[in-house]
Amino acid sequence: MTQLTFTEEIVLLALDDKSGAQLHLPVTALSYGLAGAVLADLAVAGKIDTDPERVTVLDSSPTGDPLLDPWLALISAETTARSVAYWLSVLSDRRTEIEQPALDRLMTRGILRREDKKILWVIGLRRYPTVDGHERTEVRTRLGQLILGEDLPDPRDAILISLLRGCRLTDHIFEGPEFAAREQRLVTLAKMDLVGREVATATNEAIVALTAAMNASVPHM
Amino acid sequence: MEINESVLHGTPLLALRGRLDGTASPAVEEKVTILLASGATRLVFDCSGIEYASSAGLRVFLSAAKKLKTAGGRCGFAALTPPLREIFSISGFLDVLEIHDTVESAAA
Repeated sequence: MTQLTFTEEIVLLALDDKSGAQLHLPVTALSYGLAGAVLADLAVAGKIDTDPERVTVLDSSPTGDPLLDPWLALISAETTARSVAYWLSVLSDRRTEIEQPALDRLMTRGILRREDKKILWVIGLRRYPTVDGHERTEVRTRLGQLILGEDLPDPRDAILISLLRGCRLTDHIFEGPEFAAREQRLVTLAKMDLVGREVATATNEAIVALTAAMNASVPHM
Repeated sequence: MEINESVLHGTPLLALRGRLDGTASPAVEEKVTILLASGATRLVFDCSGIEYASSAGLRVFLSAAKKLKTAGGRCGFAALTPPLREIFSISGFLDVLEIHDTVESAAA
């Protein structure tokens, strides 16, 4: 089986193991996580490069991957140099267009299956349980060993950990006292990728903005 | 980017000069691959001429360090310029990579 893209891995890891329901994440966290995953996929494909100031298109020719090419075309069509934060904002607004094709491909690969239910005979509920959980267990084991150990990550694992922490998925995936004791190690690993750091910043800012809006809407006694 | 290859105290040395970005990084990666294929288990990057490093450049460094470590060897980064030191600091690379003040100490 070919390597999963970051986009597929984030979609897969954002689902509950047993129920196939989406894990509870802070507002817009997964949207930013998926947007970051697209940028990371394009970066490792050698199509774009990033620095703290801008995203640079290195090669606008299609990757051949329909999960990525619409977004490469979008970024390539922009005539002004834009930052990672800008593209996270743009792509996070297109979450469904990123997420659904990734879910479809994970089903085609035989990793997920679709389950449609009705609540009270009316309300439709769609979930995506894993077929055997092998891929998710493999990623969790590999990254877990990296967090609990002292080994250097390869760039791909550094990017994935950074994205997962940026959208707060690490809180769900790496639970338990052994991981709690390794918070500083997780922070160090998560710093290693620029896109993941920007996902964390965007997620944190969205949470702060929502909290402020909620506080403002509470009538003062 | 200019890449100069030499050997110091028996240690392969890659001196990089200019911008280490997505355009330049494949050539650096190729040099590392060739050195590893030749059996090198020790490598030092002379970073005194690096003006800038993008995410692609940082990935090449991390990949080289990981491959050398997996092969039972070591990879040192020497004489970081202020801009490179700053990006290493932001990215946490100062905490996980082998950093040296001078090429001499890295190759010793």
